[in-house]
Amino acid sequence: MPILRKRMAPSDTLLTIVGINAVVVLCALAIGAILFLPYTDNPFAAYATLVESSLGSWRGIGITLNRAAPLILIGLGTCVAWRSGFGYLGFEGCLTIGAAGAAWYALRPFNAEIAGMAGFLVFLAGAMAVSFGAGGLWAGGVGFLRSRFGGNEVLISLMSNYVAAFFVQYLVSGPMRAEGSLPQTPRFPLGTWLPTILPGTRGQASILIALVAVFFVWLLMRRMRLGYELQATGLNPQAARYGGIQVGARYVLAAFLAGGLGALAGLVEVLGTQHRLLDGLSGGVGFIGIVVALLARLNPLAVVPVAILYAALSVGGDALQRRIGAPTSIIFILQSLIVLFLMASELLRHWTLDLSGLRGKKGTGDV
Amino acid sequence: MFDDTALMAFLVTWMAASLRFAGPLLMAALGETFAERAGVLNVGIEGTFLIGALVAFLATQTSGMPTVGFLAALGVGGLANLFLAWMYVTVGANQVVVGIVFNIFAIGAASYGYQLAAGEAATAELVPMFPKLDIPVLSDVPVIGQVLLSHSVLFYLTLALMILADLVLFRTRFGLNIRAVGENPHAAANAGISVSRIRYQAVLLSGAAAGGAGAYLVLAEVGLFRDTIVAGQGFIAMAIVIFGRWRPLYAAFAAMAFGAAQALQLSLQLFEMNIPPQLLLSLPYVLTIVAVSGLIGRANQPGALMQHYKGH
Repeated sequence: MPILRKRMAPSDTLLTIVGINAVVVLCALAIGAILFLPYTDNPFAAYATLVESSLGSWRGIGITLNRAAPLILIGLGTCVAWRSGFGYLGFEGCLTIGAAGAAWYALRPFNAEIAGMAGFLVFLAGAMAVSFGAGGLWAGGVGFLRSRFGGNEVLISLMSNYVAAFFVQYLVSGPMRAEGSLPQTPRFPLGTWLPTILPGTRGQASILIALVAVFFVWLLMRRMRLGYELQATGLNPQAARYGGIQVGARYVLAAFLAGGLGALAGLVEVLGTQHRLLDGLSGGVGFIGIVVALLARLNPLAVVPVAILYAALSVGGDALQRRIGAPTSIIFILQSLIVLFLMASELLRHWTLDLSGLRGKKGTGDV
Repeated sequence: MFDDTALMAFLVTWMAASLRFAGPLLMAALGETFAERAGVLNVGIEGTFLIGALVAFLATQTSGMPTVGFLAALGVGGLANLFLAWMYVTVGANQVVVGIVFNIFAIGAASYGYQLAAGEAATAELVPMFPKLDIPVLSDVPVIGQVLLSHSVLFYLTLALMILADLVLFRTRFGLNIRAVGENPHAAANAGISVSRIRYQAVLLSGAAAGGAGAYLVLAEVGLFRDTIVAGQGFIAMAIVIFGRWRPLYAAFAAMAFGAAQALQLSLQLFEMNIPPQLLLSLPYVLTIVAVSGLIGRANQPGALMQHYKGH
């Protein structure tokens, strides 16, 4: 008598979904615990440290929010692109290009002396426009190749990540390089730095920029005709074309918006954290942001909590590296395993436990 | 500056280096050809490439024998792709998503594994590598000998595999089944072919090949492991598959072109030119973009590529 029985339709009760997700996360955490073992005798204490250092104090929360902001922005970019049927994967590159754009603007001579809140807001608007535009054009080019020539956006966007990285490497070792031994630009003038908004912490205005972006993307996707057209294109391009939507132009636009959002992630990174442009800025954020959007099921509002959780994981991972020497790669493994297991767990919803066979004669076998 | 001897030296080193760099790309592309011909876009070969490189490094370091390292990389590459095949075929998840997330996992796993094995003192210790082909007299013949007959034995193995792959794909029943499953799985299933079984086999092959390509990188070119060693070469191999129109023989020429782009940066160092190194370093990636942009003819991909088949 088989214990597992195949369902006619996947179970979609709340209990099943919450239960499966809990099991999935626990499985991933258990594997993480095993990976912590060479560095500590007590993996539970490691997890406690992880949570305590990222969400257990105001200071930790500030750092976590700083790290969540780029993830939110890239997650939003993923929502816009993927919902429009444009499988863009080039956010590492958009972040890099956006950071370069913001850095170029911050280092213009007329931004050397910024006074007052109004002056800063004017600067920020300019920097965001430059950064968004640069990233938008960078990704929009991929959209153009796809819609005009039928190019393969998956491979093009993956390759463009490397090209962007080399381009910024060139900028910081050549035209934009500061005096000194390190390949980096001069430090930005103080007036261009994102202000701290959470008193007593390092929490910066980056989270505000991210939340405003969430609002606009939500507005676009749920309340605006353009958002409807984008999603119609993503769901069924043929039907959308039949309905009078210019599918090709929508791909380019979706790519532009996604690239711009990804570029803002680079802007908050350089104006908030680094205060200069340097090589190797993204370090995987461009892909983790995609993972965040996937976990949020491409819902712009759900991106926020998921991004904060993933940021907390990586802030906690840094703390663990300092305290017990556990490599931060464990966090990468955790972050990717959760998604892989979640995707695999779709299968579980098609099966049900049938214990009647174990109860002996009393069970009827099929219910 | 451009006198004849310098130019000749440049051409010889460039061509030799082109073939050297083409090797691992071709090996990974051959495997990917099988997966894509069966209808599975295996983006996970980038991560498998990296895992293969690490496994080959560690196994060779422990055993002292590059053959052991190579075989271990083949095995682990296949094993890792058993999981991927399960996700692609049985679970039916989006192939690009699975592949990309798996690549993140692979970066984490390889970096963790290397740090654990090498410890804090991650020394740049070279492992024993495969010997170079050394035919007396012939390997020393200027130009032809230097370019064609002085490579690692893995290079010649890859060439043999290329011919084998073409024969298997176009001259055997197994190859016919793979192409049928990738072109029209419903028709193939009606003809009595198990679609999932063929797809599992094809993905396992692509995984083993990607693992082997990682081993190639370590055991024939570099001799050590870095977590940046692969840097998109798995993706480039996927472009080679497209560029080679899903045929192993054409893939060889495509791989050579990409190898030449990689090698140019090294060979140009012979001349003192004022070109930013980043421009040359980005050349293979730019070439890939051009190759898959659709600017030079649209590729006719396998009919059921990336389509999940519900059934057996």
